[in-house]
Amino acid sequence: MASSQEKAVAVILMGGPTKGTRFRPLSLNVPKPLVPLAGQPMVNHPISACKRIPNLARIYLIGFYEEREFALYVSSISYELRVPVRYLREDKPLGSAGGIYKFRDHIMEENPCHIFLLNCDVCCSFPLSEMLDAHRRHGGMGTILVIKVSAETANQFGELVADPITNEVLHYTERPETFVNDLINCGVYVFTPQIFTIIEGVILQGNNTVNLRRETSLEAFQSVAKVLPPEFVRLDQDILTPLAGKKKLYTYETVDFWEQIKTPGMSLRCSGLYLSQFRQTAPHLLATGDGTRSPSITGDVLIHPSAKVHVTAKIGPNVSVSANARVGAGVRLIGCIILDDVDIKENAVVINSIVGWKSSIGRWARVQGEGDYNEKLGITILGEAVAVEDEVVVINSIILPNKTLNISVQEEIIL
Amino acid sequence: MILHQIEALKDVGVTEVILAINYRPEVMINFLKDFEDKLGIKITCSQETEPLGTAGPLALARGKLVDGSGEPFFVLNSDVISEYPFAELIRFHKSHGGEATIMVTKVDEPSKYGVVVMDEETGRVDRFVEKPKIFVGNKINAGIYLLNPSVLDHIELRPTSIEKEVFPKISAGQKLYAMVLPGFWMDIGQPKDYITGLRLYLDSLRKKAPSRLAAGPHIVGNVLVHENAVIGEGCLIGPDVAIGPGCVIESGVRLSRCTVMRGVRIKKHSCVSSSIIGWHSTVGQWARIENMTILGEDVHVSDEVYSNGGVVLPHKEIKSSILKPEIVM
Repeated sequence: MASSQEKAVAVILMGGPTKGTRFRPLSLNVPKPLVPLAGQPMVNHPISACKRIPNLARIYLIGFYEEREFALYVSSISYELRVPVRYLREDKPLGSAGGIYKFRDHIMEENPCHIFLLNCDVCCSFPLSEMLDAHRRHGGMGTILVIKVSAETANQFGELVADPITNEVLHYTERPETFVNDLINCGVYVFTPQIFTIIEGVILQGNNTVNLRRETSLEAFQSVAKVLPPEFVRLDQDILTPLAGKKKLYTYETVDFWEQIKTPGMSLRCSGLYLSQFRQTAPHLLATGDGTRSPSITGDVLIHPSAKVHVTAKIGPNVSVSANARVGAGVRLIGCIILDDVDIKENAVVINSIVGWKSSIGRWARVQGEGDYNEKLGITILGEAVAVEDEVVVINSIILPNKTLNISVQEEIIL
Repeated sequence: MILHQIEALKDVGVTEVILAINYRPEVMINFLKDFEDKLGIKITCSQETEPLGTAGPLALARGKLVDGSGEPFFVLNSDVISEYPFAELIRFHKSHGGEATIMVTKVDEPSKYGVVVMDEETGRVDRFVEKPKIFVGNKINAGIYLLNPSVLDHIELRPTSIEKEVFPKISAGQKLYAMVLPGFWMDIGQPKDYITGLRLYLDSLRKKAPSRLAAGPHIVGNVLVHENAVIGEGCLIGPDVAIGPGCVIESGVRLSRCTVMRGVRIKKHSCVSSSIIGWHSTVGQWARIENMTILGEDVHVSDEVYSNGGVVLPHKEIKSSILKPEIVM
């Protein structure tokens, strides 16, 4: 029962063009947060989830991209969702906590009681209003969304130990070398405005010690060679780790899906996760058809209303077809994302691939990935405006934008 | 393959064909029994109980080859295809009066084979050189011979090579002549060469009997389609495709440089190129078969599968893609 006085704001961290280079070639021409999955730009998913927060006053997007890259997006999404969305540009790296501290005046403008912080490249069910209820019950300074993962993968993330009864965070460590716990930080938080006081304290004390464990030799060299400015504050190492065990941080555990969207391969997997979520939450968004008056659909498929798909094509499972794409007669699409303005000609086959904006795929051509989302060449990615000629086969390859392929390739990166 | 040879022999008046076989002769004989009557030619079998090389089998069949008439007999290697200009071969053989005539063909890379060094004017063979390191000539043995019965006196009933033992002896006696084979020639013992041979054969058919080739908006280049085969809509067939009896090619299919044997069904929207699809096999919807994929008899490729050079033994189902050439047992 949120009181009508308790306003909330949300902050979504988006990174910048020099970060997230693993998302190339899709992010070469389009900022990663705007790359579509499940039919919408990546950042739409956390933004739409924020709509479920009671008394949400505003959403801030913080990143390193040029303002003009987000100007159009921000105004259209504000209009569409009827909630003000604003893009704030960081001009120099200040760390994940230093960045929100810099914009504290904006964030506190409406005097919110609750500040949500989300990472843009997290794929999950975003149970934000349940998190808020838990946060208010805990009465602490912050509540972290957590999930149990397998012990082998846990050390890629921030590992926490929480009290099973009070849910208090007892211990937090970022990317440990040895196993600490299988409960990890999902990158979704809710804080009280006290977070700014805490960050300020860290800055004033110059207490941002470099985490000496798990550094690459390059990082070690850099940390000796240059001193980090005091305003550089990382959320995990500098805020969460010291606060553990001080009755300030609590956890809320989700049992739904959770993934990080670090590579295009993962975006294909996460697109599938969101599509299957739509089947529960918004089934009207998904396509249906049996090949008689509309194309044959199997599994979770999303087709933009402006896309043209021939009735003899067979689509799915896990396919998303974006605006103005054209799918010709007898085409078979499985496990793929087809971006805007793509033209797929008759009898072509696309499996486990992402086809970039404005690309074209010729008759009887075959664009295929093996489907291992974690492998570098596990899916095939065609960048923007790639032309695959008739009958050409492309397997487990990455093709950079504006290429024309007239011979078949397998396991190659075509620059 | 063998029918092409038998028909060409019949056309020059051969009345009996002897198959020299060392493996399961009953399969060949049963198959050819039908044609015995149709073609009006006698087909018998001479079975080796031990491998006798390339000349030994002739000694084994001596009883059938020597009929007292003194007329020469043909010897053909069954892996070889050509236009079989047997009438010209007979004329040349009679004109030079030698003991044996072999047909030779010109090749680009003679050192891969055994080269026949001959007098270009008379055609008399000087010597054979196996895989020469320097250029001695560019004609190689085409595997088609016309031999007088006296040649059999040079062959003992034991494993013997005709190129290494018999022909050099006859050539030393100045009695071996060679004729350059006009038209195409191919040794199609390997599947890759079979596809090339198909192209050569269809090229030759285009020149000699173009009405036998298919035509239409869905046909590109030289395509041979059996009259019992059915082709659906929106297909694109060719170049260099042969489709056997009883085949069903469903709509939206692309075929190029391939052979589709009897009773095969190629399902919708699939694409087959540079491959051989064996008898009674099926290729699934949206499948992609290419790069010297060879499907044996009764192989079934599931929908959407990709095969890059898979060699699949008979009576198998292929449910997952073959990304690199490999043999599937």
